[in-house]
Amino acid sequence: MIYAEQSLKLKGEELILNNLRALFWQREQALIVSDMHIGKTAHFRKHGIPVSADVQDNDLKRLSFLLKLYKVKQLIVVGDLFHAERNSDVEKFQDWRKSHENITIVLVKGNHDKFRNELFQQLDIKVIKDHLNIHPFKFIHEPEEKDGFSISGHIHPGYVVKNKNLPRVKLPCFQVSNHNLILPAFSMFTGLNTSKGENDVSYYAFTETAFYKFI
Amino acid sequence: MSKTFLNSEGYSIIKNWMASQNNEPFKFQEQTWAKYAKGYSGMVVAPTGFGKTFSVFLAVVIDYLNHPEDYKKGLKLLWVSPLRSLAKDLAKAMSAAVEDIGLDWEVAVRNGDTPQNIRRQQERMMPDILITTPETLHLLFSQKKNSRWFKTLNCVAVDEWHELLGNKRGVLVELALSRLFMLSETLKIWGVTATIGNLEEALHVLIPYPKLKTITIKAKEKKKIKVHPILPDEVEVLPWAGHLGKSMASKIIPIIYENKTTLIFTNTRGQSEIWYQTLLEEDPNLAGQIAIHHGSIDKTLRNWIEDSISEGILKAVVCTSSLDLGVDFKPVDCVIQIGSAKGIARFIQRAGRSGHSPYEISKIYMVPTHSLELVEASALKEAVKLHRVEAREPMVLTFDVMVQFLVTLAVGEVFFAEEAFQLLKSTHAFQMLTEEEFAWAIQFITQGGNTLKSYEEFHKVAKDDNGLYKVKSRRISMLHRMNIGTIVSDAMLRVKFMSGGYIGMIEEYFITKLKPGESFVLAGRVLELVKIKEMTAFVKRSPSKKAITPSWLGGRLPLTSYMSHFLRKKLSDALHPGIRERELKFLHPLISRQNEFSHIPDEDEFLVELISTKEGFHLFMYPFEGRLVHEVVSALIAYRISKIKPLTFTIAMNDYGFELMSDQEIPISEDNIKTILSKNNLMDDVIASINASEMASRKFRDIAVISGLVVQSSPGTFKNNKSLQSSSGLIFRVLEDNEPNNLLLRQAYTEVFDQQIEEARLRATFDRIHNSNLVLKKSNTFTPLSFPIKVDRLRQSVSSEKLDKRIQRMQNEILKSKHR
Repeated sequence: MIYAEQSLKLKGEELILNNLRALFWQREQALIVSDMHIGKTAHFRKHGIPVSADVQDNDLKRLSFLLKLYKVKQLIVVGDLFHAERNSDVEKFQDWRKSHENITIVLVKGNHDKFRNELFQQLDIKVIKDHLNIHPFKFIHEPEEKDGFSISGHIHPGYVVKNKNLPRVKLPCFQVSNHNLILPAFSMFTGLNTSKGENDVSYYAFTETAFYKFI
Repeated sequence: MSKTFLNSEGYSIIKNWMASQNNEPFKFQEQTWAKYAKGYSGMVVAPTGFGKTFSVFLAVVIDYLNHPEDYKKGLKLLWVSPLRSLAKDLAKAMSAAVEDIGLDWEVAVRNGDTPQNIRRQQERMMPDILITTPETLHLLFSQKKNSRWFKTLNCVAVDEWHELLGNKRGVLVELALSRLFMLSETLKIWGVTATIGNLEEALHVLIPYPKLKTITIKAKEKKKIKVHPILPDEVEVLPWAGHLGKSMASKIIPIIYENKTTLIFTNTRGQSEIWYQTLLEEDPNLAGQIAIHHGSIDKTLRNWIEDSISEGILKAVVCTSSLDLGVDFKPVDCVIQIGSAKGIARFIQRAGRSGHSPYEISKIYMVPTHSLELVEASALKEAVKLHRVEAREPMVLTFDVMVQFLVTLAVGEVFFAEEAFQLLKSTHAFQMLTEEEFAWAIQFITQGGNTLKSYEEFHKVAKDDNGLYKVKSRRISMLHRMNIGTIVSDAMLRVKFMSGGYIGMIEEYFITKLKPGESFVLAGRVLELVKIKEMTAFVKRSPSKKAITPSWLGGRLPLTSYMSHFLRKKLSDALHPGIRERELKFLHPLISRQNEFSHIPDEDEFLVELISTKEGFHLFMYPFEGRLVHEVVSALIAYRISKIKPLTFTIAMNDYGFELMSDQEIPISEDNIKTILSKNNLMDDVIASINASEMASRKFRDIAVISGLVVQSSPGTFKNNKSLQSSSGLIFRVLEDNEPNNLLLRQAYTEVFDQQIEEARLRATFDRIHNSNLVLKKSNTFTPLSFPIKVDRLRQSVSSEKLDKRIQRMQNEILKSKHR
């Protein structure tokens, strides 16, 4: 798989942004992702909108690749692991989980994660209702503008590159401010939110082959 | 007209009734009645205001009076009109007539505004005449056991057929007619239309059934139109788009006062907001007497404005195409068109909004936004005189509409594949449909895609043991019913005051770019954004005078090819204007400067200008084919030049021509200009020069909504569908990756070629250029023709750079500007 990396130092920690839509934290051997929306394609199919299951299959292949690439011990999902109800996509994810047993998965609940705890137990996923603290970061689904530093998802950030002479381009991005880092949605079946954040925000936008930083 | 008909009881009753109203039938009305009596179907062509409605409606009444035994209890006449706003007035007129004549017929309206209880009542007992829209008719088809309502039908009338032909709503009508024709053996079909360029084709598309005898009846009566161009105080030899605005406002004010009620048409919602402000600044006394009307303004406010026009309370209304059609406003005695109307039919339509009763003269003033537009005024005058109106090309093989229709049938009365195939094939739109394409559609609605494995749990439509296709899930039926129709609007947010009070709608993409505290203009008011919550933008009145006027999408109308022809002709005439061509004489200083520094192209010439300035090297070409076509031609020419020498161009264009600008010399000369403008390899070069995928993705938006791939979100109402939200761009990408053979994708590309690139017109343009004398002129200064293009701010650029390179460059330029 082709990928690009961008290293970033935050609060004294060495982090790696990967354009396969994940963040790697060497110290903890942790991969951090957000908004996987497992079950979304089947949810659409069930309601009469044909979206191929291959979309989620490819997401999971990408995740497997990343886990292997960084020899990950722990996967932290900062919310919206699941999209809606239990369906065939969720079953596929259960199968995927079985083939990655040695990985610890921690989920910080998002607004979409409405399953009962039994399912999470079955999946061997540790669920945290509100937020998770691993110094110096706070992992929480919806971004915060508070003291300290949070790592979040939820908004599916995107960046519009424009210039008066060229057609605009919309790219997914990591959004970084003095108080938070917002991850791009991991699922490829998600749109981009390109509304701008506060003034001191940097956007690490990426294509299939490279990263670009915009301030 | 046959003696038997003239002696018939029905005819004399109607004739006497009309006489009692001090009315006399027009010739074309009598012709329609007589032909209907003889069992004909057909089409009535007449200008608005001449009683088109009564031609078909009374034909049915007369026939009923003469042969009551041919009519059953229940629905007799189905009246399909694209305009919801007309329905009520129409029903009132028909009811009054029926009552006067002494018939016990019930006339009713059914559309999106009809309350639930009335609908249920109608479903129990259909009225004798039902006035409805294409969408509501399809909604009726999605109900259980609906065919019983239509079995008694004698006639279906399609009103304003010219408005439907040429778009997907027309395809909805074609499909509905095909189904009605299957249900009712004795059905007659009648269309009512204004004049268009392809009347014969219009008739064939409406009634492609060999079993029906058809006729076209044309009214001799013509609407008289008087066109007055408004001349600026002095001619600017270097015209500039939009520049004239303010100075022209002072000339509009007296016209407003001279007339009872004036409609002021602009081409975009943004322009209407600006002109509304400008007029108020010019004459503050007008406050309270003028209003602004466009598609983003709250519906109740719009209704109020429309009522106020009818009552004659308002002096003037600044509007967009939102008032092109609809209820007749009796007090309107004057129309002002600001800027180009872009098409002859649209211009005539707008002019006809004034002086509405049959023998009154319609009066329209044309206000140029830059002096070159006066050429257009002259072109329009000539076109109106010759009564040449554009054709409306019918759409074919619109798979999105087909898919929607099949699901509608499966939700309603269920269908057999063979039957549905025949139904489709008998329409004009789907006469070329192949069995493979139909099989694809069936597969698409039953299993979702090619590979069954990837579409588990998809059971939108299921086939039962008898081979019947039906929708079982109530949720899917409900979602589908909400989605019936082909009108796709942009994602919109409601705009409300913090204190309550609803102002209108605004495009999501525009408002989400604003930060709280920033101001924008809507409905003639300057508003400050406070916050956005749940599809609603909350605002408060802004103290600031300056604000952003949203540039709404969809406001850029293409220039029609008829217009284009008349424009070229008038420009070549401009050196020797006729005695009556006041506007061309006025333009003389500009024309002669163009002739002195460059050239005025004759009808059989094609002008190319090479201009070098301090800024760089400019290439101008003037096809006069409108902005949309120029977008394609300019990219094509840039591509062909870059094969000679790799260059990056900045491109600008208007309706008359386009500019390619580069910082290096452009390798164009008498030797290679013929090759650059050659018609050989035309489409190959076009495909190489544009980003077809990006264009198709944009076209896919409507297709995705119509075919049910995207659930439309409407503020407030469908909140529970939030988990089904996705964008058409996203679905497009997913389909390209996983289902490249999907016919809806193919349709998006076809629409790009038919509508965006306008392949047929492009070929015709290059044929014309091929047969023209190419005139290449060099200059060191901008010419009157080139200047407005140069200052046009709508610029785009092409370069053969890869995406990554392009972004790098943009990134650098952004950085550069920040450091400055």
